[in-house]
Amino acid sequence: MMHKTLVVAKHEFLATVKTKGFILSLILPFVILLPVMFTSGYVMQIATQSPQNIGFVDETGILQPDGVFTRFEDVGDAKNALLNDEINSFLTIPPDYLETGRVVMYGTGGFFSSAPTGLVEAFMINNLLRDSGVDEAMGDRIRCPVEVEQITLDESGEVEEKQEVRFLIPYVVAILMMLSIMTTSGYLMQGIVAEKENKTVEILLSSLSPEELLTGKLIGFGSAGLLQMCVWICSGTLMISLTSLTAVFQEIQISLIMILAIPYFILGYLLFAGSMACVAAPASTMKDAQQGAMIFTMLGILPIMLLGVIIAAPDSVVARVLTYIPYTAPATTLMRITLTSVSVYEIAASLLILTVSVIVVIKLSARIFRSAILMSGKKIRIRDIPGYLKR
Amino acid sequence: MSDNTNNNRMFTIWQTAAAITVGAQIEKTEGADGPVLDVAHLTKSFGTKTILDDLSFHIKSGEIFGLLGPNGAGKTTMIRIILDIIKSDNGSVKMFGKLFDEAFKERIGYLPEERGLYQKITVFECLKYFANLKNLKNPGDRIDFWLGKVGLIDHKKSRVSELSKGMQQKIQLVAAFIHDPDILILDEPFSGLDPVNTKIVKDIMLDLKRDGKTIILSTHQMDQAERMCDRILMINHGKKVLYGTLDQIKADYRESPVMVVEYEGDLKSIDGVTGMEDYGRYAELGLEMGTDPQDVLKNLMESVKLRRFEMKSPSLNEIFIEVVNDA
Repeated sequence: MMHKTLVVAKHEFLATVKTKGFILSLILPFVILLPVMFTSGYVMQIATQSPQNIGFVDETGILQPDGVFTRFEDVGDAKNALLNDEINSFLTIPPDYLETGRVVMYGTGGFFSSAPTGLVEAFMINNLLRDSGVDEAMGDRIRCPVEVEQITLDESGEVEEKQEVRFLIPYVVAILMMLSIMTTSGYLMQGIVAEKENKTVEILLSSLSPEELLTGKLIGFGSAGLLQMCVWICSGTLMISLTSLTAVFQEIQISLIMILAIPYFILGYLLFAGSMACVAAPASTMKDAQQGAMIFTMLGILPIMLLGVIIAAPDSVVARVLTYIPYTAPATTLMRITLTSVSVYEIAASLLILTVSVIVVIKLSARIFRSAILMSGKKIRIRDIPGYLKR
Repeated sequence: MSDNTNNNRMFTIWQTAAAITVGAQIEKTEGADGPVLDVAHLTKSFGTKTILDDLSFHIKSGEIFGLLGPNGAGKTTMIRIILDIIKSDNGSVKMFGKLFDEAFKERIGYLPEERGLYQKITVFECLKYFANLKNLKNPGDRIDFWLGKVGLIDHKKSRVSELSKGMQQKIQLVAAFIHDPDILILDEPFSGLDPVNTKIVKDIMLDLKRDGKTIILSTHQMDQAERMCDRILMINHGKKVLYGTLDQIKADYRESPVMVVEYEGDLKSIDGVTGMEDYGRYAELGLEMGTDPQDVLKNLMESVKLRRFEMKSPSLNEIFIEVVNDA
């Protein structure tokens, strides 16, 4: 009966890849996502490098103006200067500053503006050191106590050099993978609900079993998703090889990412698609199914939402825990392996948990699919699930 | 014209091939007159509600079997159990003498009551998909033949969404027998069809019956069931209420025969007549059990001038309404 499963798989694959949405999804990440990412980096760079002119009102009498910092006699003058765009911001230093260290910063806000904390700290240190008698060399060390040079060793003990651009890779890989998984399992959910809505499911079930139908759909939509991932990876690799980014990327373990991306994509897809099938089978409309799928979507994008935490501390408890949660494992693990040395045991444990979860979810979805696929006019209720499993 | 000739030639070949195949299958599995479908003690409940209650019946090879019952009687549930789409709580379904397995699905064609087709693909793609699922690998010729037969060959490459509702219904009917099944289960096949298309569908069903196919016809249209079905099963609240040939059912249903007469003259009491509803020129006479209608007729002819007379049997529609109301 494998033949019928493959017939369904072929039908769903062709029906999916011929849609305008799928064709657009192959192109859009490169048309929109990459320019946005590069542009946002450029904008941030401009924001941080834009010239600063900061005022100060000193009530301690220890500060001297310099090229960036301008003295004002009182807060009123400083406010006027700020409102007239003569300065970007100003700070007041109260008389008890030396005891408390507290200063007050005034600014006008703005899309790219942020408090120039680094500049203010350097300005205060310079003024505090000026009359302290500390020699020039010690003063430099106090101003900048460490210059960290991070060296990463590979498994053979050789120095592995990485560039700052590496933060970009987990970001892109995680987003593209989750985008593909969510899109593809979304297609599956749409396909199931559409066949319920257009009443074709009963004809199909008179030709093959619900399990064969579900398996065919999983294979068909999964193949479309895999094709999507392959096109993205090949296009991305081609783009990198044709641009000056080649040198930057060549030191990064692209091969390891690619090797692990395939099993994580397949298992991640099966997990999400199986979960989506559980909510799509009893749903009468696409809206009902989407509401039910919300929880899985939220879990799927959790690693993207916690991207900052994972990049800042790829070995933290949060990052490790997300590696073992089936719904967050694919994106988290791929991000972590580009940032730190994730042990083979961690990857193996993560893949094992994911595999077991996939088996459980697929079996569960097959049972729910069989008992709920012909129901109509009912809302999805968690309390009905045991009933679906018993039938 | 040449399309029609080709179609007719193809049809003849398939008729012969189908007859040989069906004949061989029947001989091999259950013998020529054995049941193709044997349902025994079927019971199904959803929660506390019993949908089918110990239902048993069988369907003979080559007959049109009417499956009747009011809405919610359990007809669709029973069909879904026969097709193994849902499982029964108790009882068994045997097909061709064997317990149902997945392979039997290729020998069944099904037209569900709730109609539906893929709207965004062409008629050909849609039918090809359904045929492939029935293990028919190269269905092109069969699709051409049946589209010609239902008058939709010109729409072969049209998107399904471009067709009218009636056309889509005929496409779905074609999908049910595109793979030359031995058993056809048709749930309300005439619903939504105009008289012309109703005749086309009825003729196709009769052709298929002549080819030796067994047809299970689930319908609310009692006149069609009365004219077409060899035997019927009527269920109500999941229970069997009528089962057998139409003659048997009608004979069993009426306690005493009724004679209808149109006459001129003065109608007097007649031996063997227990009740009379006289309208002056028309009367319905209730005959005593065992009375020979010929004797009553002779007596009548002596007293009045008869213009018409007939033995009145209840229509299936009347029986249906009475059975459902009694329940």
